[in-house]
Amino acid sequence: MSSVEEVSDALNGPLVFRPPGYKAPKRRHRFLRQIINDEAKRVQLKQQQAHDPTLITYQSLAAPPSLKPIKTYCDITGLPTNYKSPHNQLRYYDKECYDIVKHMAPGVDQQYLALRSANVVLK
Amino acid sequence: MSSKQAEEELPPRPAYPIPDFGPTGKLEPYYGSYETGVPIAIDLGRSTTRFGLVKESDPNNVFPTLISRFKDRRVNKMVTLVGNEMFLDTISKSNIRSAFDGPMINNWDVIEKVLDYGFLHSGVSSQGRVDNPVVMNEVLATPLQQRAGMMELLFEGFEIPKVAFGTDCLFSYYQNGGSTGLVIGTGHDATHVIPVVDQKPVLSIAKRIDWGGRQATNYLMDFIGLKYPYFPTRITPFQMEKIKQDYCYVSKDYGTEVSNYLSLDNLEKNDIVLEAPFTEIIKHQKTEEELQIEAERKRDQIKKLHEQARERRLEKLVQKEADFTYYTNLKDRMKSMNKREQIDILRTEGFDDEADMNKYIGNLEKSLKKARNEDIGENTSDEPPSFPLIDVPDEQLTEEQIKEKRKQRLMKANHDARIRAKQEKELAQKEAEAAAEKDRKRRETDLSGWIAERREKLEKLTQNVKERKRLKEELTDRKSRAAQNRMKNIASLADEDRGSGRRKKAGNVTIDNDPNDTFGANDDDWAVYRDIARGEDDDAEEEEQQEILKIEEELLEFDPDFTVEDTLQRQYDWRNSLIHRFLRGPRNFDPEDQHQQHQIHINVERIRIPEIMFQPSIAGVDQAGIVELSEDTLLRRLPGETGFSGDDSNEMMKDVFVTGGQSLFQNFQERLETDLRAVLPVGSLLKVRRAQDPLLDAWRGMAKWSVSEHSKNSYISRQEYAEYGAEYMKENNMGWVKL
Repeated sequence: MSSVEEVSDALNGPLVFRPPGYKAPKRRHRFLRQIINDEAKRVQLKQQQAHDPTLITYQSLAAPPSLKPIKTYCDITGLPTNYKSPHNQLRYYDKECYDIVKHMAPGVDQQYLALRSANVVLK
Repeated sequence: MSSKQAEEELPPRPAYPIPDFGPTGKLEPYYGSYETGVPIAIDLGRSTTRFGLVKESDPNNVFPTLISRFKDRRVNKMVTLVGNEMFLDTISKSNIRSAFDGPMINNWDVIEKVLDYGFLHSGVSSQGRVDNPVVMNEVLATPLQQRAGMMELLFEGFEIPKVAFGTDCLFSYYQNGGSTGLVIGTGHDATHVIPVVDQKPVLSIAKRIDWGGRQATNYLMDFIGLKYPYFPTRITPFQMEKIKQDYCYVSKDYGTEVSNYLSLDNLEKNDIVLEAPFTEIIKHQKTEEELQIEAERKRDQIKKLHEQARERRLEKLVQKEADFTYYTNLKDRMKSMNKREQIDILRTEGFDDEADMNKYIGNLEKSLKKARNEDIGENTSDEPPSFPLIDVPDEQLTEEQIKEKRKQRLMKANHDARIRAKQEKELAQKEAEAAAEKDRKRRETDLSGWIAERREKLEKLTQNVKERKRLKEELTDRKSRAAQNRMKNIASLADEDRGSGRRKKAGNVTIDNDPNDTFGANDDDWAVYRDIARGEDDDAEEEEQQEILKIEEELLEFDPDFTVEDTLQRQYDWRNSLIHRFLRGPRNFDPEDQHQQHQIHINVERIRIPEIMFQPSIAGVDQAGIVELSEDTLLRRLPGETGFSGDDSNEMMKDVFVTGGQSLFQNFQERLETDLRAVLPVGSLLKVRRAQDPLLDAWRGMAKWSVSEHSKNSYISRQEYAEYGAEYMKENNMGWVKL
């Protein structure tokens, strides 16, 4: 018997510490977005019933946007730059990078933009 | 020249291997001295779980929070492997699944297995339940659904007597003896900034940045994927994480360092070459003999082709010459005719009027001249062959001889054409020689003028090249002026063709038998396409390149101010190419080299990835970075909170505490301290420290806390859970948030 089987059997076999009658409930597979949305609804409902300004929630902990000027960097190389291509909004450092940006295969520009969540998302 | 020497002196860059697999498999140890009643601390991390009875100073089991479930065909049954043991088997690696979607648990079956596994390896032997209190971490202010799920699983699935929850970075702070300070916890999925005053976290002003180790690894993975889109092997997330841990570091001064990162000097120091494993294909080396035979064969073929092409050219030339003589004779004849006859002849020949014919003859002459200049065979003997039958009238000849005569006539025409071509060629050569001589004289008498002239010419040529490139680019855009002009040209050409009934012999009829359409009857017709082509004139381009090279050579020889650096070729040198340095580091790239094909270069990424914690906007996260958040918390939010003052802030600055995996990046503390010092008031007593063990201290803190005075009244028992449900909690100063 291989060691792989052994460790698997040990885990799958009857475990002494598990309560004999327990049967796992059927659980719905929920994605992150659903979980967050459900939580937001729950919090809203709770606040309507009895408003509590000190309530701390997952949403309320999220850090606010930065108030400082944002530094921009070349999307290709990561060097600091202020240039932006008018074709596809990609930032580029110099002429050489611009050549690449200009002749990008369709879709690749969106992949680059997705790296900083600036891509177009169709809903 | 000097750079060439330098290149030879530079040693090749060392290439580090990308680890072949992810983590190596190992058997998880079982804990030997289990006791009931002793708390079990579970740091259920998004990437790594630490599990163990709190009697020990370190967790008994540390393993990745992943399981792998698959059907083993060898024994025909389902196999489930957890944590490190997954890597014992090769099949299991492709069946790995995680319990999490981002920071949230979405697969409770996986969590159940992980807990099973943890309790099993902790040696739990109590019957029918786990008879130990549990201390566990949870996401700060986790959604109620998550906490409820976990409580349900622990109380009903394992029947534990009591449980307490908390946040890992606060446990870590507790372990490191903190009392008042700013806790910065960097995790696998999020980074928290939590102020703590007198051991109480001020959660109302705590903040979370949605950026952690997982996102950083993914970002690096995507970035490298775009940097090397055709990389031959796949780099797994495990490998990427290892690369990130091994080679990324926090820059002490990002702005300055990144600007200079792709300079050759810096790359020499900081460019990392990573090579993916691959099996080298050894190319079959051809022997000298084989090569020779191959070359011979090739030469023969080329010779044959040349011969054929020459034959064809010659035939055409003869035909053209015949045409030319015919039309010139016709023209001469027409001079002695009256108007009417002239027009008749013109009509039958297919011309519009006399001007049309003259134009046609002119064109014919031009193309004749050109054709003669081409190579039509030099290797004919000088002595003229004899054509005895040509001058004999047909009546005196037999049938056989007439045939022979026709043949001889053709041969004679051939021969004459050849001789004329030769003469013309010689003339051209003489002219060229004279021009060269004149040029030399001019150079000797007026060097500066000559140089200026050459430079101007070179300038013009390079301008041409650029112009062509620009045109080509512009034509890709349908709306550009160049493209519009081209369309206009095409339209007008189409119009023209329809307008004038073209000339030429009626015998030349096209495929669709339209006698008016004689396009292509004359070779020059095809030149139309040249005018409206998309600026892709390869021949002209080639010619220009040759011309540029020639002028550059001359200038290099005679112009003292013109150096190798000025040549066009030199300007395309890889050293001057930013993209080359970014992709291939400070060495030349040989696309044939199999090692280099399997190499990636990590340079800017090394500092870019950790920098995202300080500037989340780099990755498009619309949140403030850790320094700005800390500054805001210390200077504004905390003093503004009821019950706190600036004194608390001043106290807090003395203990800025960092923990979690991302704090392990080199220079992290130093950078945080420099940046904070820059924004805090002058004279602030700032101190930044890191947890002794940023990875394990959270578990140790749980263990320490679970048996301390603080914890006594902070557990929730099974009865309480049954009575009040999952919303019930007890304040424990460890981040157990009331939901």
